[in-house]
Amino acid sequence: MSGDRLKIILSLTSPLLIIITLFFGGIFYGLLQSLGYQPAIQKYDINFDAYYNVMFSERYAKLFWTGLGLNLWVSFVSTFLAAAFALFGALAIRKTFFAKTFCNFIYSLNLPMPHLVVAIGMIFVFSQSGLLARMSSQVGLIGSPSDFPILVKDKYGLGIILTYVWKESAFFFIILMSVLQSLGENFEELAQSLGANKWQRFRYVILPLIMPSLFSASIIVFAFSFGAYEVPALLGISYPQMLPVMAFEFFLNPDLNARSEGMALSIIIAMIVMILVIIYFWLIQSKIRKN
Amino acid sequence: MSDLKISHLYKNFSGMDRPVVNNVNLNIKAGELVALLGPSGCGKTTILKMITGLFQPDSGDIILDNTSLLPIVTEKRDVVMVFQNYLLFPYMNVNENVGFALKMKGINKDKIDEKVKDMLELVKLPDIGGRKPKQLSGGQQQRVALARALISKPKLLLLDEPLSNLDAHLRDEMRELIITIQQKLKVTTIFVTHDQEEAVLLADKIALIFDGKLQSYAPPKEYYECPINERAARFFGGVNFLKSTINNLNIETEIGLIIYNQKNKNDLLDNHLLAIRPENIKISKDNIFQKNCFSGIITSIIFSGTNTRYKIKIKDTILECSVQSLGIKGISENDKVFIYLPEDKLWGMNE
Ligand SMILES: Nc1ncnc2c1ncn2[C@@H]1O[C@H](COP(=O)(O)OP(=O)(O)O)[C@@H](O)[C@H]1O
Ligand SMILES: [Mg+2]
Repeated sequence: MSGDRLKIILSLTSPLLIIITLFFGGIFYGLLQSLGYQPAIQKYDINFDAYYNVMFSERYAKLFWTGLGLNLWVSFVSTFLAAAFALFGALAIRKTFFAKTFCNFIYSLNLPMPHLVVAIGMIFVFSQSGLLARMSSQVGLIGSPSDFPILVKDKYGLGIILTYVWKESAFFFIILMSVLQSLGENFEELAQSLGANKWQRFRYVILPLIMPSLFSASIIVFAFSFGAYEVPALLGISYPQMLPVMAFEFFLNPDLNARSEGMALSIIIAMIVMILVIIYFWLIQSKIRKN
Repeated sequence: MSDLKISHLYKNFSGMDRPVVNNVNLNIKAGELVALLGPSGCGKTTILKMITGLFQPDSGDIILDNTSLLPIVTEKRDVVMVFQNYLLFPYMNVNENVGFALKMKGINKDKIDEKVKDMLELVKLPDIGGRKPKQLSGGQQQRVALARALISKPKLLLLDEPLSNLDAHLRDEMRELIITIQQKLKVTTIFVTHDQEEAVLLADKIALIFDGKLQSYAPPKEYYECPINERAARFFGGVNFLKSTINNLNIETEIGLIIYNQKNKNDLLDNHLLAIRPENIKISKDNIFQKNCFSGIITSIIFSGTNTRYKIKIKDTILECSVQSLGIKGISENDKVFIYLPEDKLWGMNE
């Protein structure tokens, strides 16, 4: 018995060490750099200059705060839309065998597709020189392709949102389908027999039953889209600019002093996500305690 | 109080080789408590779901108070079904669960609270309104489900296997409660069960269903006294069968000639079965009986607490016979005894 336990602990130790080294080592090293500790360029003192610079200096403050606004906007809107889109899709087709199989297939294809590929697809289809713009000018819907609304590389991040909605709705869809499947239809049938119409069954039965899974999935998607770099890099503009892109540009800067700002910004991004997650768990806990 | 009339109801699911519900006809009077009885898979739940509107029948009609239910959607039928596993909404407390139907009707909160209180008192659970379903025992969940179903005063109450998930001791209690509430509210009720004892104890009338077909629809007593066929008789259990043929005015059985005078005497075909329940056979050590009397050997005696069961071999047939409490003094295994099959307790069946 105790021998088994020892074996388990020993066999877990080495992967655990690797994980701890990579994770906490990375955070620790990043934190140090963000605090200005850069032995490579003979900087050994610890201070919060980089944080101050990023958030409040005349040079970067505007870029940072508009970037933060854009980040929150893109993450909230794309998470919400992806969840809503997947939810209504899943509810609409779950009872029809053919549509269910078809959508499962399409979404299973979508899931492993790299974000970069989807982003390029967005440019190909939705940009002013893209497929839709050309086609609508061909059939005379618009005068010329440049009359097509700016959906990609626009200041509201529409192209980024569109990419995330398409990609992340696949994730939501697959989770929701399995949750709905495991719930079965009994609760809905019961509610119906108690007099609940279609809308009431959605509002008072389906939604509360799937809410826990929907919320957890939303947290994952939100955290991912808040910190991801490649889609905003490809489909975004230089002002306003999303925070991960800004961080990476600091990092690419040949001036090694800018590294501290890049790391500070990365830590800020991580902190914001962490705070949101903590608030979420706190809300859940207090709800449980209330009941 | 509402009358329900089910006529020529059929339902077939694709991929099934025969209809799941096959020409079922039932007339249920207002305020009656009726059992749908049959083995698992015979179509009982399917019938309930057609009455609620969750399934559409292939043909036939369901008429409640002279109006067909078929064109009406489930939520407007005033027919409430209590599902087999209670299905209390896990995210609502007991009060919210019980008040659900009224909330769906848009009734104001004070009024709902008042009614919820009444309903919880009716099911004898006055103090648990604030609890969540998972904090309740199985019996309590069942009561809450019942309260939730009855709060909107449905015209028809459908209970799917209401007792089968409960422990034996809770079952008796719950059964009493269902009868009490049903009589108090006088709601027309159909309940489904696969347990014949439960049906007999609860129902005013029993609809016996095999393979989607209604076998008979009668008060419980008739299933014991004059079952419709061998399968029905066997379903109610503990019956002796004798293969018989018609011999002039009498009936020739494996154990000898029997005088038979029941009302269906002239309907019996040449080859049929006679049934008699063990408790209706009389035994004696002495030859005291006048007619329908046979002699045999006791092959076993079992005392079961409330009665004593004898197996008696007559020619090549073994009949089971039961006598209340300790049985008959001075009879032991391998003794010769005389038995009497009372004319009014024999019942002949063609199938
Ligand atoms: N939605 C359905 N689709 C296909 N077959 C079904 C469906 N519901 C029930 N059945 C079949 O119909 C038969 C009767 O089911 P049911 O009415 O639930 O039986 P019971 O309640 O008497 O045990 C079963 O063989 C079952 O497999
Ligand atoms: Mg059933």
